[in-house]
Amino acid sequence: MVALARKTLIYEWRRFLPAILAVGFASLLQLLQAALVMGIFGSASVYITRSSADLWAGYPGTQSVNLGRPISEDVAMRLRMDPDVVKVEPFRWVDADWRGPSDTGGVSVFVSGIDARPDGMMFSRVLPPALRARLSEPGAVIVDEADLDSLGVSIGGTAAINGQRVKVVGVSKGLRALGGVNIVASLETARVLDVSPDDAGMMTYFIAKVRPGVKPRIVAKRLNGSNAFGPYTVWTANAFARESSLYWMFDTGAGAGVLFLAGIVFLVGSVITSQTLIAAVIGSIREYATLNALGVGRGSLRKVVMEQAFWVGALGLVCSIVIGLILLVIAKNRSVPMELHPITAITCLALSMALAIVSGLAAVRTLRRADPASLLR
Amino acid sequence: MSMSLSAPTTATNTVTLHARSVRKTFVSGRIESTVLHDLTLDVQAGALTLISGPSGCGKSTLLAILSGLQSADSGQVHALGHDLSGLSARALESFRLQHTGFVFQGFNLFPALTALEQVELPLSYMGLAKDVVRKRAVDSLEEVGLGPRMRLLPSELSGGEKQRVAIARALAKEPELLFADEPTSALDAANGQIVIDILHRIARTHGTTVLCVSHDPRLVHHADRVLAMEDGRILSDHVPPSPLATATEPR
Repeated sequence: MVALARKTLIYEWRRFLPAILAVGFASLLQLLQAALVMGIFGSASVYITRSSADLWAGYPGTQSVNLGRPISEDVAMRLRMDPDVVKVEPFRWVDADWRGPSDTGGVSVFVSGIDARPDGMMFSRVLPPALRARLSEPGAVIVDEADLDSLGVSIGGTAAINGQRVKVVGVSKGLRALGGVNIVASLETARVLDVSPDDAGMMTYFIAKVRPGVKPRIVAKRLNGSNAFGPYTVWTANAFARESSLYWMFDTGAGAGVLFLAGIVFLVGSVITSQTLIAAVIGSIREYATLNALGVGRGSLRKVVMEQAFWVGALGLVCSIVIGLILLVIAKNRSVPMELHPITAITCLALSMALAIVSGLAAVRTLRRADPASLLR
Repeated sequence: MSMSLSAPTTATNTVTLHARSVRKTFVSGRIESTVLHDLTLDVQAGALTLISGPSGCGKSTLLAILSGLQSADSGQVHALGHDLSGLSARALESFRLQHTGFVFQGFNLFPALTALEQVELPLSYMGLAKDVVRKRAVDSLEEVGLGPRMRLLPSELSGGEKQRVAIARALAKEPELLFADEPTSALDAANGQIVIDILHRIARTHGTTVLCVSHDPRLVHHADRVLAMEDGRILSDHVPPSPLATATEPR
């Protein structure tokens, strides 16, 4: 079979370039937008995703991890009583005010009081044991590298949180928060920093690990069955992380914005792509009509146009993947919160390919003008 | 070609195209114009039949109807024994694929394909084996004298050569019916001469029914039969006085 679609695409690449670029840009925009949204709103749940706990127990009905309220110590007892729970650890959340040594004014910070022992589950994915051990010093805190500027400190520097003196003993990566700055401290330091009198000594969450091989979902369901130890809700880590990200996405209206933008990108991309493909079909309309006169069926001609649309889509996707990867690497090096899960990436790419195919279908309609009788006039 | 006839005989007197009382009317706004007036016509195999006449006389419409590209408003068209008026669009496509070749005034070649690929393209839709497609395409291009230039793109060929590629594209299908619409109009005298000679030779050596529509008076002497048309009617039907009289038997 003569590869008419591909040969025409290569020979008349200038004609097809706008379509390839349109698909490429649409795909790149969707990918970057998705990565940014996932990255930004994913940081609403860093507490969960950077920790190794399977279950989170907190105040009933909490919609996002940053909205936790103090819960009774009895809940930890309840978790420990479950035969499939092997480890329970407290997590204390303190909303606080930071005053740095340099002139940065007040900065709203979220203090995470964590178990500083080397086998602690909180932030186990971002704090290596040596760094974690430094938290046991009273007043020691760890911040994200990228937040040093906004806090106006450097490693070893001191500052005040809620009027109490703290010292930055190290920095980590992947701790950036949404709507403030994350500060990691030990449970003891966090207790000192918590100036609110009514929740003195109360933890915000209890996190737990289940026996290997046991599904956290089943344990969570079992634990949610009774309120005998005071009110609480248990989530699996994945569910709570997703809930937190979605809360931010829709609370800020960004979710609707993202969908709207995706729709616009799709629309503009398909207008450009379909117009280009239609122009290409019209440019060869006499040749297509000749083939039809020679008996090549309309279905076969449609296949040629659809194949062109497919290749335009494929080339556009390749462009967007290459450029997207480069931008993701740059973003990662500059601590821009970007995260792209394979499923999200595949969805974006599939959408862009759908754009090319829809444009191809629009161009196929133009083939109706390939009337061989018109060649005789 | 397998169908080659050894002797330079002309019309085998087999009627391959038969039109009876064909009428075609075009409506544009309120104006109704009849392009073909109950036209009846037989065309024989193995001969080059030329339909000549001024533009607008209905000759291209007649060609479109005889070749199954358009349907008549009334009357019957039989091609190779098939009643074309009774066939669906899909069946007409399939009929054209199996039995007809076309050469148009414009060469209508795909700019991206070499001469060889232009010829192979329609063949590849006929369900032929790959090597058969290649052999037929090469043979046809050699027959029109383009053997050495078959790897060139249309942009590298002259107008006359492009039209020969278009002829080879039609010829490679080994059609019983070959239709040509103003095949020489876009060519200079020398190239026009080459093209009409090739069409004439195809009729004789392959026994093909070649029906050519043209207002080019130079072609008259190369045809086996000339039908003069005007205002949708055939005015005369004659065998032209030919400088190649030895090759043209009187009917």
